[in-house]
Amino acid sequence: MFEELLEDVAQKNGLREVNTYIKLAAGLSAIVLCLLSTGYASPLFIALVLSATVLLLARVELRTYAELFLVPLWFALMSAIVIVLISGGEHVFWSWDPLPFLSLSVSRESINTGFFILCRVIGSMSALLFIALTTPMTDLFVVMRNARVPDFVIDLAMIIYRTIFFLLDQVQQIYRAQVMRLGYSGWRESIHTFAMMCGAAFITSWDAGDDLVRAMDARCYDGKFALLGENRPVELRPLAALVTFIIVASVAVVASQGMTLL
Amino acid sequence: MSHIILEARDVRYRYPRGREAIGGISFHFRRGEKIALVGPNGAGKSTLLQMFNGMIRPDSGTMLFDNEPIRYDTASLRQLRRRVGFVLQNADRQIIAPTVYQDVAFGPTNLGYDEAGVKEAVSTALRQVGLVGFERRPPHQLSGGEKKRVAIAGVLAMDPDVLVFDEPTSGLDPSGSEDLMELLDELNHDGKTIVISTHDVELAYPWADRAILLADGQIIREDVPDVAFGNTRYVRMAHLSVPTLLELSAELEKRGFVIPERKPRSVLDMIHIIESHLHGSGSHLTPGTITVCNVDEGNTATLSTWVNAHPDLVVGAMGTRAKQCAVQEQIALEFTYGVIDKCILRALRGRDSLILTPGSMVGRVAVRVEAYCKESGNTISVVNLNTANQPPITGSTNEEMKEE
Repeated sequence: MFEELLEDVAQKNGLREVNTYIKLAAGLSAIVLCLLSTGYASPLFIALVLSATVLLLARVELRTYAELFLVPLWFALMSAIVIVLISGGEHVFWSWDPLPFLSLSVSRESINTGFFILCRVIGSMSALLFIALTTPMTDLFVVMRNARVPDFVIDLAMIIYRTIFFLLDQVQQIYRAQVMRLGYSGWRESIHTFAMMCGAAFITSWDAGDDLVRAMDARCYDGKFALLGENRPVELRPLAALVTFIIVASVAVVASQGMTLL
Repeated sequence: MSHIILEARDVRYRYPRGREAIGGISFHFRRGEKIALVGPNGAGKSTLLQMFNGMIRPDSGTMLFDNEPIRYDTASLRQLRRRVGFVLQNADRQIIAPTVYQDVAFGPTNLGYDEAGVKEAVSTALRQVGLVGFERRPPHQLSGGEKKRVAIAGVLAMDPDVLVFDEPTSGLDPSGSEDLMELLDELNHDGKTIVISTHDVELAYPWADRAILLADGQIIREDVPDVAFGNTRYVRMAHLSVPTLLELSAELEKRGFVIPERKPRSVLDMIHIIESHLHGSGSHLTPGTITVCNVDEGNTATLSTWVNAHPDLVVGAMGTRAKQCAVQEQIALEFTYGVIDKCILRALRGRDSLILTPGSMVGRVAVRVEAYCKESGNTISVVNLNTANQPPITGSTNEEMKEE
């Protein structure tokens, strides 16, 4: 039920000390390039580069990364299969009309479309994971403030961030106490026990909220939240790596224009 | 005697639709005192503590801070809370922000310090609690003791006069508790008045200047710890137990040992009582020397070679900075709490020891040793490593010879 948290991986990753903007620029430009590409090769290339970065430079464990990647990948694979089946084309390899309004077919065009979309998903996924695994939330708050996001939104986000871990910890304790006393032994019990956990978690969070207000009052809360404003300086090597990546990926996008599988 | 900083005059408080939590209590704390509020669960300790910084307003009676009645408008409360820092029992609930830096900076930011001021306040507070380098860590990755220190730093950053701790050692392991109590001593030495609530008598007894025994919202006894904890009737009323040292000294007294007016508050005091009973006053051995090294004076590089040159020496460290210094210089520490007493005990057996300490506590070693020597008739010399040119141990033993 409780796996290692994404945020914990990000806090310890090898690229933690690289300037946040460089990491964000790499991730966001990768997503944009994946969306701009018209051939399947460039998203795969981007995925390869970013995954290698995450595994080799950020030193995220392969197992963790694979688990994170596989969940949405299955989802994308299913969608791709559906797309292959329902979209039509000229070179039909196989077709079946089980119902008058539904016809399933596999054609060269539909396979190309499905595979292309799958590759795009893989590319964008790796870009998102790159950001999530190398840039902890605490660094993103600073970016949010610099981007002129309203203060109350950031303050709320920060309190939520802090509370999530506290609440998760509480839920974990309640869950363990329930399991130890065989709370989830049957289907009916499971539902009952789960409801009890929700209730207990609600009360705990209400209580914690009270304490939060008190803790803030005790420290003269006046509507202000401090932020550790300093970002890491932009260093030459990461910057050069970023520029190279964008250029090479753009070239790949242009070169692989219209490239299809079949 | 220093002047009164916090005072309560017949305060009463009843929870909405509940029983009376505080029933007519009066007391006062003086500046620079160490006070322990001791009582069983549900005695009203936490409620009382929350009155000190205006979180709870008494139904009747007056709370005074710095001889002024506390006023409960927003501006006055802010001022009060800046000067009375409050550390909750559950550090997790006190830490608000997503990183250590942000949390410690919370108070100063809200007090309207400018950015440089906030940075200064945060780094000072983190240095005081020994968490330098933790700025960017998120609190949920810290250990219990570290979280407690973050919570304390968050309060210290506002530079309060009084620090109030609700059950400071709950949830900490024994060595973490000792470290924390030493940190409280260090803060007290810097001039802060410290109030703690606890039901751990063993902890409160040697530490406090004054103890207040609470039960059922009433003060049972308010006195110096050996009197407050020494009376079994009071102790039973407060659902506590008599500290081991006091119990032991009472038993020794019944067996004909001479117990001084001031009851023993440490193992050192106890050893003194036993030894003077066995051999009469004074020791027959030539006492060892205690060498003090100020880690703030920056010549710590030669320290480990000096320590290696004296293999019989045992090293103790007082305060977080000294402990960090020892880790840096790879010096093995024998004593990490109650250091002065342990070094005196060692000196009485004719052995030498070295105490690493921050500059603010160098004086304390000399004062404590001198006080002990005066009381016991022993002579133990304290040498400052930073000022001594030649190997200090031989230099001081000559002095010993002359005196004997």
